[in-house]
Amino acid sequence: MVFRSTKKIRVAAGAAAVALALLVAGCSSGKTTNTNPTSKTLTINKAFDLKTADPGRMYEPTGEMVDKALYETLLTFKGGDVSKVVPGLATLETSADSKKFTLTLKGTHTFSDGTVMSADDVVFSLQRVIGLKGNPSFLLAGVTVTKKDAKTVVLTTDTATPALPSILANPALGILNSKVVKANGGTIDASDKAEKYLNTHSAGSGPYVLNSLDLSSKVVLTTNLKYDGYKPVYSRVVIQNVEGATQKINVQGGSADLALDLSGTQAQGLGSSVKVTSDPSANVIFLLVNQNPSISKITSNPVFLKAVKESIDYSDIVSIAGTGTSQATGVIPSMFLGALKSADALKMDAAAAKADLAKSGYKGETVKLSFPSDLTLNGIEFPTIAQRIQSQLKTTGITIDLAPAPVATELDAYRNGTEAIGLWYWGPDYPDPSDYLVFTPGNVVGLRSGWAAGANPAISKLADAAAVGGSNSERQTQFEDLLKALNQSGPFIPLIQPGNNIAAKSSITGVVYNAVWTIDIASLGSK
Amino acid sequence: MTVFTPIARPSSKRTAPREGRVRHPFLSYALRRVGTSLLLVIGVTLVTFILTNLVPGDPVAAALGQRAAEDPAIVANFRTQYGLDQPLVVQYFTYLANLLHGNLGMSTTTHNEVTADLTTALPATLEIAIGAIVLSIIIGVVLGTVAAYRRGKASDHVLRVVSLAGLSVPTFWLALVLYYVFYFKLHIAPGSGRLSSDFNTPPTVTGLYTIDALLAGQLDTFLDALSHLFLPVLVLTLYTVGLLTRFVRTAVLEILDQDYVRAARAKGLPAGTVVWSYVLRGASIPVLTVVGLAFGSLLSGTVLVEAIFSWPGIGSYAYRAASHLDLPGIMGVGLLIGVMYLLVNLAVDLLYGVLDPRVRLA
Repeated sequence: MVFRSTKKIRVAAGAAAVALALLVAGCSSGKTTNTNPTSKTLTINKAFDLKTADPGRMYEPTGEMVDKALYETLLTFKGGDVSKVVPGLATLETSADSKKFTLTLKGTHTFSDGTVMSADDVVFSLQRVIGLKGNPSFLLAGVTVTKKDAKTVVLTTDTATPALPSILANPALGILNSKVVKANGGTIDASDKAEKYLNTHSAGSGPYVLNSLDLSSKVVLTTNLKYDGYKPVYSRVVIQNVEGATQKINVQGGSADLALDLSGTQAQGLGSSVKVTSDPSANVIFLLVNQNPSISKITSNPVFLKAVKESIDYSDIVSIAGTGTSQATGVIPSMFLGALKSADALKMDAAAAKADLAKSGYKGETVKLSFPSDLTLNGIEFPTIAQRIQSQLKTTGITIDLAPAPVATELDAYRNGTEAIGLWYWGPDYPDPSDYLVFTPGNVVGLRSGWAAGANPAISKLADAAAVGGSNSERQTQFEDLLKALNQSGPFIPLIQPGNNIAAKSSITGVVYNAVWTIDIASLGSK
Repeated sequence: MTVFTPIARPSSKRTAPREGRVRHPFLSYALRRVGTSLLLVIGVTLVTFILTNLVPGDPVAAALGQRAAEDPAIVANFRTQYGLDQPLVVQYFTYLANLLHGNLGMSTTTHNEVTADLTTALPATLEIAIGAIVLSIIIGVVLGTVAAYRRGKASDHVLRVVSLAGLSVPTFWLALVLYYVFYFKLHIAPGSGRLSSDFNTPPTVTGLYTIDALLAGQLDTFLDALSHLFLPVLVLTLYTVGLLTRFVRTAVLEILDQDYVRAARAKGLPAGTVVWSYVLRGASIPVLTVVGLAFGSLLSGTVLVEAIFSWPGIGSYAYRAASHLDLPGIMGVGLLIGVMYLLVNLAVDLLYGVLDPRVRLA
């Protein structure tokens, strides 16, 4: 609009000035720290895969980190050591046959509203996870939960379940305030309506309470004044949804205190004001070579499979993945009980590969390598690895046709076992070696590689022995034997454990990577 | 001015309403456009539904974890919960019936109602898209007009090169570079996101943080939200300005050769009046078309910019829904973008009618 009269302009300017003055005079502050000068805000950057904060439905890495701060579990892990379970809310007594687990509450824990935690809360929380039939329900498949007395709960299973103590440390099995959850639509079956409430409030006893949650942008936590433990250093935590490339700039520039999703390359050269903690993650990237002749006659040939294993330059794959990455010695990651030592890992042998390829009867036919084209794991892009494998196999004389597809569509082919060669990863469901029995004949991942039950009786026998359990040293031996056999004759080729790089301002202390919940926010401090 | 003369009809009963209708040619034109738009909305739902279901993937596999997807009870519960156990035809008509009640279904990714998700995401995108289109129009019109008036001179060449560069530079690259320079190196811009972490989200009224902060009387939140708009708006503006500058230049060049412009000059009218009231008004129709398309594109195509600046808008939501095969989410975004394009086009068409009366009768 054009003002032709200077009088009009003066009137408009005057009105605008008055409006602005009134606005400023009537303004309050939206800044949180103004109201409490002693409060400390911690800003964490994470690429969200968050779907919910409801423990009964949550089963994503971001959710594990958030719920670890909001809820306590019956058992837990100390720091980054996930090979040993320690008491959490309760102490554990396990029967010799690993079928009965008696958990006794310490009795000192209260929920954020001041209610004392009881066995009823434990029973409700665990039965709710089972009854919701959500993502984490499988954790307690076959488990019966019963209350023994006000402080004691007994879990029983029909078969030996030595992994159950490790499973109970998962934040998805965090204990809820049953009265509050029931009052907000909570039940122990699929009719439960409490998710909405649990995405706006928390009902736990963890060091923090949920202040706000926006699945697309940020989660805000504040301290739980009723927490039965050390008071966290940071009274307010903001977890922001930020992609890796921006995370790097944010932590360098100071708007983020921690960046959790930097790739090996991004984690380099961040400067002296940022400290990077690099560890191999618990994810294992592997190749599966299908053993079903109806899918591929050549990949189901054991001598061809051997030639593929010998063709791969494992150290080269590690080098392209960058900081923190290590070769996967077997399908079980290095930090878990039962993992193999580096000396037992697969090795490249170019001469043997060529000789075995000649023996296999391979006539130069093209073999399809399927992989998720849009999947980035710990900053590593699957297409990059696929291209490198194609190049390495070409050196031996194997022609690979790359078949990328979006993960949402390729998952179907992977799960239906129709890929000739597939490039995938396995992230642990719980930090126990028994989670990896799925890689044996007739089990979930075994079937995806065309490995039906009975396909390899020797390996099945080792798997059966490992499933029964025993002492830690017995289990270590059982799983080592199984992994060695898998490396030798199984259809899986473990490649790498990608590095998990956590970049933090140098003033932040207590940064420890945990394979289940990434970091324990409450244990972070400052200097 | 064009005079409309109704054609005589033998029956007076039939002539009367027709005469009544033609008394308001603009209203008649507007009703025709709205009616067409409604039919197109239904078409958008059908196309989106078919395309979404043609994708070779199972939403169950995409939504559930590896172990959960192996459990028939969990899978059956998921299918029932989201209506995926029904035949496709039933699913479509159920969708349409729910749509009439403003219900776009539940997202399998966020477990929220899609309407609620979109209500949160749309203002975030609108906030940067409106800022970008307003700036783009102002700058693009000025630069395009200057370039046209100085046709063939050095400043024209420079402006054409600059506008071409704005169109050619990949947006995500530009976003990263500007973020690095303005935030990390120069400390002029704030970090990513819509607000700094020290600030609480202002009470939601419009979903536009700047407006909501003002409504809540939080001036510091307003200034912080405004500063966070700077870089995303700048990146989007640089692209759109390049587009508009080129179109305005071409349109103005065409108008400059018209007799009525020469006549205005010959009459000795001030240069500003000639530019503003004669040249730009005449050039407004083609420019308006491009502005409409550019605004539609800004509303739907900011995925990469939103990713770099951690902006939780429609682009981010669409990407997340697509990568998780979240059918209700994809449908909701498809419908919203379709409706937004239709509304923008409708607004542009109606503005044609305002600017050029001949259009109303076409």
